[in-house]
This record gives sequence, C-alpha cells and structure tokens, in this order.
Amino acid sequence: MDQEFKLTSVEQMEADQERLHQTAQQVGVDTWQDRVKNQMPHCGFGEKGICCRICAMGPCRITPKAPKGICGATADAIAGRNYLRMAAGGAATHSDHGRECAWKLHDASEDGYYHVTDSTKLLKLAKEWGVETKGRDIYDIAHDVANISINEYGKPTGYQRWVDRATKERQEVWAREEILPRAVDREVVTAMHMTHMGNTADPEALVRQSLRCGMADGWGGSMTGTEMSDIMYGTPMPHDTEGNLGVMELDQVNIVCHGHDPAVSEMIIRYAEDPEMIKRARSVGAKGINVVGLCCTGNEMMMRHKIKMAGNFLQQEAVILTGVCDAIVVDVQCIFPNIGPVSECFHTKFYTTSPIARIPLSEYLPITSENAGQVAEKIVKEAIDNFPNRDPGKIFIPEHKHIASVGYSCEGIKSRLDSVTNSHLDVVDTYKPLIECIKSGVIRGAVAMVGCNNPKVRPDYSHIEIMKKLLENDIVIVATGCAAQAASKAGLLDKRAKVYCGEGLRRVCTLADIPPVLHMGSCVDISRMMLLVTGIAKDWGVDTTQIPVVGCAPEWMSEKAVSIANYVVATGIDTYLGIDPLVGGSPAMMELITKGTKKMVGAGYVINTDPEALVQSIIDGIEEKRKALGI
Amino acid sequence: MKRLFDCVFNGSDQMYAKAAADLDAAIAKYGPEHSVMLPDTAFNCAIILEYCNIQVKTLADLKAAMDGTIKEWMTKKERTEDIFKSGLATAMAAQVIEAVKYVEDTQPYKGEYHGHMTDAEVRELGLPLVTKDIPGFVVLIGPAPSAEEARDIIKGYQARGIFVFLIGGIIEQAKRMGISMGFKVRIVEVGPDIWSVSHVVDLVMRAAMIFGNIQPGDYWGMNTYTLERIMAFVNAYTPVDDLTVACGAGAIALGFPVITNEDEPLWKVPKSLIIQPNTQDWIETSLEARDIKLKVTAMDIPIAFNTAFEGEIIRRGDMQFEAYGSRTDCFELVVSKDPREIEDHKITVIGPDFDHLYDVLTELGSEPIYEPGASIQLAYIAEVGGKNMQSDFESVFERKFHSWLNCLEGVMHTGQRDQIRIRVSKSAFEQGFRARHIGEVLYAKLKSEYDTVVDKVQITVITDPTECTKLRNELAIPIYNKRDDRLSKLTDESVDEFYTCTLCQSFSPSHVCIVTPERLGLCGAVSWLDAKATNQLNPNGPCQIVSKEGCVDETIGVWPDVDRAVNEYSHGALEKVSLYSLFQDPMTSCGCFECICGMEPATMGVVIVNREYAGSTPLGMSFAELASMTGGGQQTPGFMGHGKHFIASKKFMRAEGGIARIVWMPSKLKEEVRTRLDKSAFELYGIENFTDMICDETIAPTADELEAMIEYLTEKGHPVFGLEPFDI
Repeated sequence: MDQEFKLTSVEQMEADQERLHQTAQQVGVDTWQDRVKNQMPHCGFGEKGICCRICAMGPCRITPKAPKGICGATADAIAGRNYLRMAAGGAATHSDHGRECAWKLHDASEDGYYHVTDSTKLLKLAKEWGVETKGRDIYDIAHDVANISINEYGKPTGYQRWVDRATKERQEVWAREEILPRAVDREVVTAMHMTHMGNTADPEALVRQSLRCGMADGWGGSMTGTEMSDIMYGTPMPHDTEGNLGVMELDQVNIVCHGHDPAVSEMIIRYAEDPEMIKRARSVGAKGINVVGLCCTGNEMMMRHKIKMAGNFLQQEAVILTGVCDAIVVDVQCIFPNIGPVSECFHTKFYTTSPIARIPLSEYLPITSENAGQVAEKIVKEAIDNFPNRDPGKIFIPEHKHIASVGYSCEGIKSRLDSVTNSHLDVVDTYKPLIECIKSGVIRGAVAMVGCNNPKVRPDYSHIEIMKKLLENDIVIVATGCAAQAASKAGLLDKRAKVYCGEGLRRVCTLADIPPVLHMGSCVDISRMMLLVTGIAKDWGVDTTQIPVVGCAPEWMSEKAVSIANYVVATGIDTYLGIDPLVGGSPAMMELITKGTKKMVGAGYVINTDPEALVQSIIDGIEEKRKALGI
Repeated sequence: MKRLFDCVFNGSDQMYAKAAADLDAAIAKYGPEHSVMLPDTAFNCAIILEYCNIQVKTLADLKAAMDGTIKEWMTKKERTEDIFKSGLATAMAAQVIEAVKYVEDTQPYKGEYHGHMTDAEVRELGLPLVTKDIPGFVVLIGPAPSAEEARDIIKGYQARGIFVFLIGGIIEQAKRMGISMGFKVRIVEVGPDIWSVSHVVDLVMRAAMIFGNIQPGDYWGMNTYTLERIMAFVNAYTPVDDLTVACGAGAIALGFPVITNEDEPLWKVPKSLIIQPNTQDWIETSLEARDIKLKVTAMDIPIAFNTAFEGEIIRRGDMQFEAYGSRTDCFELVVSKDPREIEDHKITVIGPDFDHLYDVLTELGSEPIYEPGASIQLAYIAEVGGKNMQSDFESVFERKFHSWLNCLEGVMHTGQRDQIRIRVSKSAFEQGFRARHIGEVLYAKLKSEYDTVVDKVQITVITDPTECTKLRNELAIPIYNKRDDRLSKLTDESVDEFYTCTLCQSFSPSHVCIVTPERLGLCGAVSWLDAKATNQLNPNGPCQIVSKEGCVDETIGVWPDVDRAVNEYSHGALEKVSLYSLFQDPMTSCGCFECICGMEPATMGVVIVNREYAGSTPLGMSFAELASMTGGGQQTPGFMGHGKHFIASKKFMRAEGGIARIVWMPSKLKEEVRTRLDKSAFELYGIENFTDMICDETIAPTADELEAMIEYLTEKGHPVFGLEPFDI
C-alpha cells in the first residue's frame, strides 16, 4: 500500500555525499565541504552588509567607533547599495539568459538547429503583442516576436510589455510606487549608477530601485527566457522521470548537462538520441547514452523530456566523483570553477560552451545558432569515446533515486485542474478548481518554494523539512530551481508522496493525479509562478496580495535570488527567507525590506534562519490571509 | 457565508447530541449490559467496529464508542482531516441511533423501510461489483422536487445499473409512483431519517472487510479501499441542513462525492462537493464526478437493457405470452460454424412475429390457439464463427443467454437448453418488442463480450411450432447429448491444465481461485470452460494457464505450478494451496462464494451452507457468521468457500475422505445437488441415496439439536462414522 512509500532522508543523502567526499580525499581534490571549513568564520562586516568597497578610498567598514565611511556613507547607505547591487547582478544574469533565448528564436529556422516547437504558445504571444499572424509563415511570426522581446531590453521609452499580464490592481500599485520596469538594461544600469560612489544614500530609494530592478527580471528578462524556451523547446506538461545521484548509470555513457540555458542541453539530448550515436556507444561496450541534468539546466531538461536529474547545486562535484561521468557540459551560471580540478582527477571531459562562463581546465566550445548541432555531436562522440577510460577503482554510484512527476507549467497545472472539473457544470482552462479547494479550506493555501542550496545551513534540510510541514498542513507547494530538486531527491515529486500530506491535500493529489510538490521549472521559471498567482487572483476576482499564497527561499545564496525576492514581493507575495539578506548591519534596511515594502506593494520579507520557526510563520501568514478573506 | 468547516462541526454536534440522548434513554430502560445486535451479521455495528475497533455487544459498548473515538474525532480544528474524522464520527453516532432502534425491536421498521442489510445481502454484491454489472451506488437523500422527478431519477439510475439507496422523503415519493423496491431489484428504501444512512455506510464497511480483508482499526486501509474500489456517491436534495452536510463529510472522507442542488451558499469542492442546480442533469453529473463509465453495448431494441432488470419477475397477469420448454418444444442453442458460411448480423425469423401469432394461426384455418397470456413455442439459434472459436465455448456462451435476456426490461428468462421458460410482458410487447430483438440482443452481447473469439454471428429465431419441434429433435438434442458426454469426461485428470481466476482482485486483492473442471470458481460463475474461454479472449487477463506438470500429491491436490501461480497472483500473500483439502493449505475465498463448509467436531464431518440459507446451523453459526471466518484471501483451515457444483465432485475434500464427510446441508441445497451427489457417492463408496443420509435443518436447525443430528446420522448409517477423525 501507499503507506509503504518512504522518502529518502537528508541523513541518507548526506551519507551519499560523504562517501563521495571520501573519494575526493582519496584522489586528492577539495570539494565544497572542505572549502566551507576553510572559509569559516565568514567576514562579519560582509555578512552584515556594512563593508563598502565601491571606491578605492576604502574598503570602509562600519563599527561603533567608525559609524560612517570616508565619504560619510552610513550603514544604511552601504548596506542599501550592496543590496541593490546584488539585485542588479541577479536581474542582469536572469535577463541576459532570457535575451540569449530570444536571440535563439530570432535565429530559428525550419532547417536550422533551433525550431518552433510550441506554435500555439507562439501564436498566443503574437496575438498578445499585436503581431500579424494571418497567412504568415510561422518562422516569420517567430522572428517578429523575438525582435520585439529583444527590443524590450533596450527600448528607450515605456515599460516592459509583460507587465500588461498582471492584475489591474498590481499595475496600479506599480505605477503609483514608480516601480514599473523600463527597459531591462536600463534598470540594471540605473542600479549601478545609483550605487556608484557619491550617489544614492537614501535606503528607501535603494530598496525601491531593487524592487524595480527585480521587476525588470521577473516581469521582463526571466519571463522572456521562459516564454522563448517554451516556444522553441516545448511547453512542459506532466510526465514522470527520476531524480538524485542514483540516476547515474554504470553501464551507460553518462553525459551531465549543467547550468541554466537549455540551448546547449537541447542539442545534446537530440544527438544522444541519434541511432548512430547509440550504435557508437554500443561499440565501446556501453548499453546506451544517459544524458542527465544538474541544477537549472537539469530542471529545463527534466521538465520537457524524460531526462533524469542527477542533483542540485551542491552535487555538481559529486556527479564527477561517482567516477562514471564521461562528460560534463556547462552553459551559464552556478558553475563551480572547481569542476576543472575535480574533472582532472577523473577521466571526465569538461566542456564550457558560453563566453559568459569561461572556466580554466575546460575545453571551450562556444555554441552559436549556426554551430550548435556540430558542437553537440562532437561532445556526444567524445563522451562515448571516453567511456572506456573510466577507472573502475574510483567508481561509486549512490543508490538513492526517486520517481519524479514533473512538468507542471501553468499549462500543465491547468490540464490537471481541468481533469477534476465536471463537464456538466464547469468551464475549463481556469484555476477555479484550485480556488474552490482553497476557499473551502480543503487546501489552506500554496507556497512557492524556490532558491538555491547554501552550506551556511544544512543543505536541503530546510527545503525538505519546510515542505513536509507545509504538506502536513494541507498547503500545496509549487517549486522551482534547487528547491524542486531537493524535493525530487527526497521523493516529494513522487505521486505516492501524498501519504505525507494532510487529508485535504492528499485527496486533492489523488483526484487530480498530481504529486504534492509541483515542479514548475528552473529559476527563470519563477516567472511562471508570477503568472500562476496572477491567474489565480484574476479567476478569484482579487489582487495577488490577498490570496493565501506566499514565497519561500530557505537556502538562497545567489544574487539572482535577491532579484527574484524583489519581484516576488513587488507582485504582492510575502517572501520567507531562511538566510539573512546581508543587510543586518542596517536596522533601517531591515525595517524597509520587512515592513517598508508592505506599505509600498503590500508584501515583504519574513526572515528566520530556524526552519522550524520559519515554516510556522508561513502557516500563520497563510491563515492570516484566509482570515482577511473570510474563508 | 457560513464556512464549510463550521457546517460540518455543527452537524456533527447535532448528531452526537441525538445519539447520546437515545443511548442514555436505552441504558436507563434496559441497563448497560443489554445486548445490541443488528440482524444477520458477523460484523455487528461495522462502522464502530472499523473506526473504534470495538466489537459491539452491549449498550455499554456503544457508550464506550460514544465517549471514546466518536467524541475524540469531533475536533474543530481547521484541517480537512478534522472534517473527515468529524464526518465519520457523525456516521458512527448515526449508527448508535439506529442500533438502539434494533434494541427496542428486532424489526424496528416493520417492513416499511429496509433498515439494516444482512451479510448475505452484502455478499450478493460481490460478483456484480466485480463484473461491473453494478457500476456504482447512489444514496438519494430527499424528497425530490416532485414525485415524478423522484421516479425519473430512480428509474434513470436503475436503467444504468446503479444500485439505489433511498433515504428520507423520496421513499414516500417512490411508493406513490408505484416503484417496486427491495434489495433484489437494487432499489433499497433504507429509512426515513438522515441517521439511517448509517446502514449504507455499514454495508460499505462490511464490503471492504469481506471482499478486501480490511481489518478493524485500519483507518487508511478502509478509506483507501472505499475511495479506490467502491464507486458510491450521494445525491442530496435541498434543503441540506448541517446534519446532512456532516454526513456528507463522512461520505467524502470515504471518497464518495456529494451532489446537491442546495441554493443556500455552500462551498464547492471539485469532484467532492458539487452544486448542480439542474436536478435533471444529476445522473450524468454524478457519474462523471465518480468517474463511473458505463458498459454500453449499442443494440437496436425498443426496451431497456440493463442488469438492474435481471431480478425482475413477470407475473402471469402482466404477460403477453410465455414460451415454456417443459410444456412445449422450445430451446436455445449456440453452434459453431465455419465463418465463411455465416452472414454477420443476419437475423432470420422463421414463423409469425409476436404481433402476428394470432393472425397467422387464424389464416391457416386452425383454431386460434394463441391469445394474450397463452403459451407459444419459441427457439433461437446463434451460429457463431471465428478463427479462435472452439466448440467447447458453445455452452459457455449459451449459459450467458439467461442473464442477457433477463436484462431486458419486461422479459423474464429461466432455465437452459430445451428447458427454457420465457415470459414477455404486455408492456414490453406494447413498446414494440418483437422476435428479431431477441436476435439483436444475442448478437450484440456475443460480439461485445467475446470479441476476440467471435468474428461473425447470425441468429435464427423460430416461432413456427413445426419447425421448433423438428429442430429441437434433429439439431439441438443430439448436440446437447454430445456435450453431456464430453462434460462427463471432463475431469481434473482429463485436462492438461488448470486456470487461475483473479477476476475478484479489484475487490479482494490477494485472492486467487484455481479453476479446474471439477472445482469451478467459488462464486459459481466461472467454470473451467469459462476460464479457458476467458484466457483465449484475453491472454493477459484474469485467467492464466496453470500447468499440471510434476504432481506432488494427487490425493491432496498439490502441484508445483499451482503453488507458483497462487504465490505470484496473490502478490506473495499465499505460498501454497492444495486443491482437494480442507485442512492442508485450503483454497482461499474472495468473499462472494456460493457456499461455505466448516468442520463439525462432534461428528468429525462438515456442514455446508449456501448463501441463500438464512438460518443457523449445527455449528451454531449462520452463513454470515461462518463466512466471516474466511474471505478476503485468507487461508483458514477447517473453513472453505466453494461453488455448489464442487459439492458433488469426487475431489471435494478428498484429502479428508471426500463427500462422506458431509453431515449437514440445508434441505434446498440437498435437492439442488442430489442427483450428482448420489451418483458420486455410489461410484465412490457404493452407497445409494447418499443425500438422504445427510442431515438438514428439519432435524437439526441449530447447535442445540446436535444430539438429534448424531442420532439421525447413526440411524441412517452415515459413512462419516467409518472415517478417521480429522488430523488436526
């Protein structure tokens, strides 16, 4: 029976990691576990956000004896500027990824390497943007849509066109608070300008620009990345795959794709399925080719294909330490430079493919719209030829893996919700069934679990413990990024994991045939979550800030997460953080990001580094929103 | 707008208060140790048994349930678990109210309402549920907006095979509209008040315990079983008060959606609590909500076809005509034929059609022998062809004619071969039912149910008396004789393989029948030939081949492949089964067996009871109580469920001495098996009229007459006394 289904515990995952760490020690290479120890204790000024190294008069550090920097900048100004710069870094990163996707669509052609796969989504977007579609070639339409989205990055006037999708109330709030995002590039440049020596020292202005910069990401660059990828590679729909290190195969050629932009991995998948390549793999003694994903490239792959997910952020060294990684191919973001040294200790081939992420000890094969297929073919061939070079003495593959039901894009979620409607009464293609569950109290609310892994806390522990507690309380979870992968590794994306839910959510999972944690994609796909909450709010007839839905990033670490947190809050969604946002040295900043933004946009951060306390505050927050709605 | 959770909690409180008051009054009157016993069940107060794990015997036990789990589950926390538990506790409180009624009076409803349902009734549901002949259950809580609408919805569900339970005012409406009700016709007038719904929940609990081997106290086992396997739902007419909402929460906890037209604001929950203002559309809305897909076979006939009409009786006064094989030459026959000689779907009628029986006979100048209600001659022959068709399947198909023709509204069929008796009602005739429609039904069912074997079918219906007589004598009787010859030679030794039957696993997940020529499925519905045909029809289906290679013990009936098969198909629940023993690894039961036999220690014999027999036995237990000893795929040495046909087999508990062990059977069952049983006894022991040596309820109706039974057996010289005591 279902009751027999067991999650993989954090302890079991840690034991696997530790076993692989021993391999690292044997081969004489360091991993993040060693480096965390070496870095302790972290710089206290940096942690509190009160070290300023923006100009060369410093670095200046704020202490009780030295409450101002040389220019006179207070803790508030320094922490605020640092915070905005993080947001800008994150917004730039997501958005540039999105821009690359738009360029791929711009270059797409019938006989090229990149195609239009989801023409329905393309036509819908074309219609939304007023692009003529009647009687036109689908690629002509695609190129027009791509051009428009590329221009969003640098358009001299006006605001991001994506914001038109938000609720009317949200758009009014953004206009009132002057945080409607202009051109994506402009908001990042403005942020850099404002934080230059001798500019903004008012923390509120810095926070406001952080929100705006985040908006340019979530309602700009990230949304571009998601939409363009869906058009080219297909909109994810529910299907089953597997996750965790146990997906590495002893008797197959393992190619690991890592990073964020699916442009490279999509090509690898295509060539790994080529019968010629499979024949080649057999000829070297392998049973087949096993392409697996890591990090958000892994998410992009598993969402659209049956590709398995090997691990999240902190397992990128571990996959190589299994001794069976024949090639690791990276695109952009979250890639440890240490992959080079670790690969060197094994037969593993390490390829970098983007001018954005150039890393020593890798083979650099820059991928473009023109050469993508050739590069992918070369990588797959070399990985196959590398299969016989494994050192059997270094091989250890942890056994843990779980079935993962993934592919819950907004369209995927709606398809499952449609399945519980009654054709004699209900309309389809809405979030109404979910709203009915929430209104009646069967489900209490929803939490968007997002973000990274961070060794400052016990990795994955916060994600999994918070999720379990929420599920017990009939709170459904949507997840992206490394949070979704933590769920996958634990088994929470397996539909049988419904036994860990309260009875309401458990029943909903049964009837809608869904797992209790819905994987929505990579970190740029948090834009999907913005559309999800917007869709729910619209179908409900209220604003996003009223519905019992909140965000949670218990283990965030990257600048992208700061950008995300800003646009989630701007969208009216309270965001619960398990890691301090590096502004603790400025009480004014702490006040602004927790309570100040509430006054501006109706939402703010709740920060607590204790996961038990954090999850309780989430539950309380959701119940408060329910009470306000009278449900 | 009142929150859903508050409605449930409020309703639960009301039910609890009523139950507490009724129970306290009963205790005051009779004392706490007074016995509480719902009739003819081995699972007394099954809801309380399941969720409180209390075997209710006295009023004090009910009190313990009320003060314990029932109260504890009526929490008021804001989680779905709390409304579910509160709803189930409401059902338990309702059970307390109803059980107390049965303390006051063993027949509290005086035949006006059905009230409690017996274990035998629950067991009757087993097979039709498995075959999906009953695709689901509806609990209608009413009154409906009008009596006409009540009739329409009840008939609408009945026509779709849905089992109907009525609660409240809708029962009066149904009576007014002349709807015949009762368990047999699958429309049960449960009770007048909302608390009588506990009888339906109680039936659900017992079905899960009997067929699914769900144990008392297994909360998740029960709620998962009901959600996944019992396709019930509720239709509640407005006004829906909090009491009904609380009961509805219990229904939803079990997985049964509630559909209502309540116009007061009420929270909707997808697939669970559905507001459908258009009551005319309730049937379709409900079936979709519970994911019930009906087996539909399209056939061109003017009257309804549904399993719900299988139990329909057509009285002499209502009939247009009758064909009765005992009086005139009538018959039904399936013959296999080269497909090239068959024109598919050709239906030929030889003789006058039903509306011309009188005219034609008059024209011929003879006396008008036909008048409404009179007896006619009738025969029908199905010629069947297909690449995989085997002549062994002819009788398998032919036996199905009985249930197929009975599914016609206004047509009654009994008997088989040339002993058939068919009645067609005036109403069916008036709606246009004619001779060729018999052909349409047989054609459609043969083609849909046996599609992998049957490629082509043509039907001939004969009403011409001369032709009927001629074909009976020249065609049918020689074929019947040939088949009998073949069947008598069909023994466990004469075949190379047995079959599994796991048809019941949708309800009884760990039960496996091993079907042999002499030991048909314990439900009585699957013979060895049926199993063989099923295997041919669907090679990956419920009937898998079991090889007879390497017999370990022929007397006890042990084969390695039988053990492998039960192990595999019971998913490891069973290790081995011996086919001819009651004590050594006896075959398990799903719960829907025709008969159960149990060891009788005083005589070292066995008592056999059939499901239809309601009384007690010399073992001191009724069928229901004996049946509860086994079932759910459990191996219980000394008790075994089996089909009636097996009783006369020479393999029947051969390991323990065979049929000579049978010391008691209900008299009706004795008559049913007499001919074959006497024959076997003669061949085995040289004893004549063995059936007469077996005791029955006329001599020993209960355990109190054990002495009388022994005396009877001794007097008759029953062979059991010559056997060794059981080796246990």
